[in-house]
Amino acid sequence: MNIRRRLITVVAAFAVFAIAVMLWAPTVGSTSISLARAFDRTIPWDSNVDAQIFFVARLPRVLAGALVGATLAAAGVVLQALLRNPLATPFTLGVSAGASLGAMLAVTMKLELSLLGITAIPLASFAGSLVATGIVYALASSQRRGLSTNVLLLAGVTLNAFFSALILFVQYLADFAEALRAIRWMMGGLDVADYFPIIAALPLIFVAFAAFAMMPRTLNLLSVGAESAAAKGVDIVPAQRLAFLSASLATGAAVSLGGPIGFIGIIVPHLVRLMVGSDHRIVLPASALFGAAFLVLCDLVARMVMSPLEIPVGVVTALIGGPFFLWLLVRKS
Amino acid sequence: MIKMLNTKNTKITKTFVLSLFFVSFVAFVLKDVAAQETPRRIISLVPNVTEILFAIGAGPQVIAVSTYDVEPPEVRSLPTVGALVDPDTERIIALRPDLVITYGSQADLHTQLKAVSIPFFDYRHGGLDHIMVTMRALGQRTGHVEQADRVARALETAIDAVRNRVAGKPRPKTLLVFGREPGSLRNIYASAGKGFLHDMLTVAGGEDVLKDIDKESAQISTETILARRPDVIIELNAANRLNDADLEAVLSPWSALSSVPAVRNKRVIILTGSGLTVPGPRVIDGIERMARALHP
Amino acid sequence: MPALLWADNVSFRYAAGAPLVVEGVTVRLSDGALVGILGPNGSGKTTLLRLLSGTRRPSSGRVLLGDRALDQLSRREAARQIAVVPQETELAFEYRAIEIVLMGRHPHLSMFAVEGPDDIRIAEDALAATGTSHLAERPFHELSGGEKQRVVIAAALAQSAQLLLLDEPTASLDLGYQLEISSLLLRLNQDHGVTMAISTHDLNLAASICRELVLMRDGHVLAAGPTAEVLTPEHVKALYDVEADVQVHSETGHMTVVPVRRISR
Repeated sequence: MNIRRRLITVVAAFAVFAIAVMLWAPTVGSTSISLARAFDRTIPWDSNVDAQIFFVARLPRVLAGALVGATLAAAGVVLQALLRNPLATPFTLGVSAGASLGAMLAVTMKLELSLLGITAIPLASFAGSLVATGIVYALASSQRRGLSTNVLLLAGVTLNAFFSALILFVQYLADFAEALRAIRWMMGGLDVADYFPIIAALPLIFVAFAAFAMMPRTLNLLSVGAESAAAKGVDIVPAQRLAFLSASLATGAAVSLGGPIGFIGIIVPHLVRLMVGSDHRIVLPASALFGAAFLVLCDLVARMVMSPLEIPVGVVTALIGGPFFLWLLVRKS
Repeated sequence: MIKMLNTKNTKITKTFVLSLFFVSFVAFVLKDVAAQETPRRIISLVPNVTEILFAIGAGPQVIAVSTYDVEPPEVRSLPTVGALVDPDTERIIALRPDLVITYGSQADLHTQLKAVSIPFFDYRHGGLDHIMVTMRALGQRTGHVEQADRVARALETAIDAVRNRVAGKPRPKTLLVFGREPGSLRNIYASAGKGFLHDMLTVAGGEDVLKDIDKESAQISTETILARRPDVIIELNAANRLNDADLEAVLSPWSALSSVPAVRNKRVIILTGSGLTVPGPRVIDGIERMARALHP
Repeated sequence: MPALLWADNVSFRYAAGAPLVVEGVTVRLSDGALVGILGPNGSGKTTLLRLLSGTRRPSSGRVLLGDRALDQLSRREAARQIAVVPQETELAFEYRAIEIVLMGRHPHLSMFAVEGPDDIRIAEDALAATGTSHLAERPFHELSGGEKQRVVIAAALAQSAQLLLLDEPTASLDLGYQLEISSLLLRLNQDHGVTMAISTHDLNLAASICRELVLMRDGHVLAAGPTAEVLTPEHVKALYDVEADVQVHSETGHMTVVPVRRISR
């Protein structure tokens, strides 16, 4: 039994799959393009349609999809272990509701500000996710002894409901076109047509993944129980703090890039666990890689099935994820 | 005994049903008569229909409007009674209207108005012609047949004038955008193959680049725009006026699609003003501005 | 003999303003000891074990591990010397038995390290010591109550700690498993030299394997000392409000407690 070899082999297999999907996805789309022309640098950029379709329309959305998919899937894994609840998602703790409220306010207040080139809606949604994370964190750590995962879960669920009500209220006050735009944002979209939003989301997601990389064994122990994890050498409170904050911030960054795309954070970790077991040293990286591939594929469906119309990618993930989720529930009971 | 009872029952039922028919017939006739009377107290829940009412001379009969109504300026002092998704039925009934202009999707409101026997005029957006149809129908309904016909004919003449002016000229492939996320090319909504925006563009001498999509509006990807290569992009912006810096900020995201002829040849045109998306008497203003943009 | 683990006049409350659940308790575990902690529900047994393992810090008093204060040690350092078997183990996800046991190696591994051949050998030894080698590849949730408990004990053994604290290890088991676990614990103590403290409700289990007892009631120590001296009808009465007969069983030579009737205070 060589554990290291197994870890490397399995994760490598997932990596190969993710890379293959990411290499293939930009080559297909609603229009057929010539790759030779797209990469022909003798053709001036301004007249090279194939290159612009490849590099402006497709590649950024594949990269955004991969980044968002990897982040949501990994954050889902971390939060499921932290809350010891297989049905937790990156959105369970209010992050997406906060982000949606932020985006909603940006739309209805017609905010046009931008910071370092990031536009109003992503900015406002990220701010909203920070507010939600802050509130939940403050509530959960108000009890004297560390972070209570029960309070975390309750506070998150309550905040979700409360923010959803606020969203409806703002939506009600907004005019029709604005409300529609905000609702559309909530269905998720990856057609960023630009590399800058991706680059802007990267640092935070990178920091979060660095934190995730330190966690797998701790997450295994937390899955077995906080008390026994403590007895086996885990500093529970700092570990829970790190898990909650890094997963929440990464989710906030991902949502501000692609909108609150649902179901990735729950389907992917479960599928991965069904394939490789529950060892987080495999589940965490494999979920990130599989999440990247999965969202890129869902987005491929979103942009091709009804072309030239777009289906919101969140609708595609929900159409696949909803039935899967139900199957999971039935299978559990 | 049982048989007798049965027969009796059947008789009672028959009489009951017959009288019910009679009553409802009378009610129907009366209601119809009432409906034909010229309304004096009109409530309009549809802003563009409000504009039409004022244009055809029925303005003085309008006693309340929706919360979104701002044109013509006279409506700003009228009471408001909710709007498309949240009509204030109680206030509507309390104002004792004799005609309510509703939108086709307000099914609940229709049921409620029927229950209190308040007649309503049901409107739905359609193509450009539908504006004139609505004008004439409302003229008939509100007792302004002649003025409505005059206004409608003037509009038709003006539309024809534009049509004739651009006839024979090359029709540039045009993308008509009416919504996107500020500062980016995300969530682009454009006019597609039907509806008054599509018709306006066609009249103004443009070839709608999304005319094959049988919808009024469509969300399209940057890939679609790159692939369809419009010669002109007309973008409607709700702001009343944009200064040069604002204009540049609004235009700058398009530069990412430099292979699109419209972008390369600097033919991305921003039309400002909220009236552009209102299918009412001001529609000719929008058509003329589109025509000037397409055929300078 | 110097104490290996020594709780010195410790008190504990779970939150400021909350009542003390452990009050002025002193317990000494010497090397090789097998101590039973007895007491009714809510007497503070579980909390005392948490203080002894260092997963909770006493509100006052101190816990010494050898000659070092336990709260000066990092969790990892403490976990290398003190292992704990919790009362219940409820997994959030499905793990195989061997995976659970290997988790015991956590305090010995650096952050990015993966279990090597030594760790695997230690885990296999732990499985063997608890008679669960044949269960290694089985999903934990498919095991019976007794098997689960033995695997959890194996995971604690894999920590290679000299101290093992068990919180009601036989609480949810039937008679057969109770005997199995108690003989396992006795064997681990005698053959492997593991120092143990066991909290339990089961007076007969305590009487049959523990050489020393600590009797707790309402957060206080009622009595402590060698089993034969402490396990008296008077103490049982004070502990549980139950009149009992304490006899020496002729065949096993163990003390047995036969409850006779409950008395009201």
